[in-house]
Amino acid sequence: MNRVFLFLILALLLPLSLAVQDLLPSLPPFGERLLLFPVVFAFGVLALPLVPALGFALLAALLQGLMLLQVQAGQSEIGLTLPVVFFLGWTIVLQMASEATRGMSWELHAVGGALVTFTMIAGQFLTLCIKRGGFPVDLSILMRIAVPSVAAILLAPLLYLLLCSFVPLAADEAQAGGMPKGPAH
Amino acid sequence: MKKILITALVLLAVAAIALCSLEAGPLLHLKSGLLGLLSPVSRSGGAVKSSIGSLGKDLMTLDQLQAEYDRVLAENRKLRAENNGLRDLQQENNHLREILGYRERSSFRLVPATVIGHDAGVWWSTVKINRGARDGIAADMPVITDKGLVGKTTAVSDSVSEVLLVTDENCKVAAKVEGTKEQGIVAGTRSPGGELQLTFLSKLADLQPGQKVYTAGVSGGIFPSGIALGTVKSFRARELDGMAVLDPAADPASLEEVFVVTGAK
Repeated sequence: MNRVFLFLILALLLPLSLAVQDLLPSLPPFGERLLLFPVVFAFGVLALPLVPALGFALLAALLQGLMLLQVQAGQSEIGLTLPVVFFLGWTIVLQMASEATRGMSWELHAVGGALVTFTMIAGQFLTLCIKRGGFPVDLSILMRIAVPSVAAILLAPLLYLLLCSFVPLAADEAQAGGMPKGPAH
Repeated sequence: MKKILITALVLLAVAAIALCSLEAGPLLHLKSGLLGLLSPVSRSGGAVKSSIGSLGKDLMTLDQLQAEYDRVLAENRKLRAENNGLRDLQQENNHLREILGYRERSSFRLVPATVIGHDAGVWWSTVKINRGARDGIAADMPVITDKGLVGKTTAVSDSVSEVLLVTDENCKVAAKVEGTKEQGIVAGTRSPGGELQLTFLSKLADLQPGQKVYTAGVSGGIFPSGIALGTVKSFRARELDGMAVLDPAADPASLEEVFVVTGAK
């Protein structure tokens, strides 16, 4: 039952993080964004067991795909296929990393959050380059990819502490079941 | 236990395939639904953000307050003097408008809106506004400020809409250059910075910095003619056409209040 609650709380946090990150001001000088969504996603797939984590990844793909949806001449620029593949892929990688490091830790969450952020932004850029043509890489583009990724490393421990206090069920689950899941306090 | 696990995995696979096979139309409906779902957070967050912003702006020292008071007093005297002169001009203007039917030809029905959130992604230039279908907003409606064109609505929920800014690479607008017969297509760039590009101009177009660019209002298009798009910053001839870089008329970084054009008056 605890796992159901954990899943539900994380499933609510996911859209909330999308709404909140839209309200955060962009950073100078190139208008870089702070992204909470990939950091919350990384927490979710590390805290949940495999099957619920895959369901969580599908939800993340649906939300992210819809938020970025732009329809041009009746065609969506980035549909849901790429987000589904991306988030399911990262779920499997993070689950394997969690198994290999014997459970979830704030360090793993920080590194995972930063890597998900980096690959997500860079992947979107590459997809747009392929779809629209051109490959306009300059300092501002690199900063737009690098700054949110570095910021994710700094944001992740704060979110980890915050989410652990909001989601103590994950820790209880790990202790009760002896499973390598749930955040370590 | 194994059966449940396999069933769950099969269901997840079916869900993933179903999501991947959704077409643009149903996806746009789903996006409108998601915007509606998130609208309470977006709207209240936007209001809080605006209050915090105005709180910082309102805090001033006594010296600053005195200087502001003096400035406002002087401005008040100047405006009173101007106002007396403008009354006559207003009457004359009304008279001329009646004669020319100007109001009927060029006035828009506008719905005022406040920007409550910025870009949903890193590579797209969009904002969210606090007006939606219940205010008469629909997809593909032009959004303007008193300075010029801002963009167009894309996804619309009951109370929140997403606006694709003119500085986005995907927002393409037919444009004409003031004082010339040059016409082209204005679009944003992928690089941040908020500049616009006017392409498909004649290679021999002799555009000068400072020339104004307006919407051309092509038939079947969504943008009416004559809305300011920007000012020419530079021009260069390319292999096949001419390309001008423009400063946008409405600065996307400082958007707060906008108007959605819901039709002509």
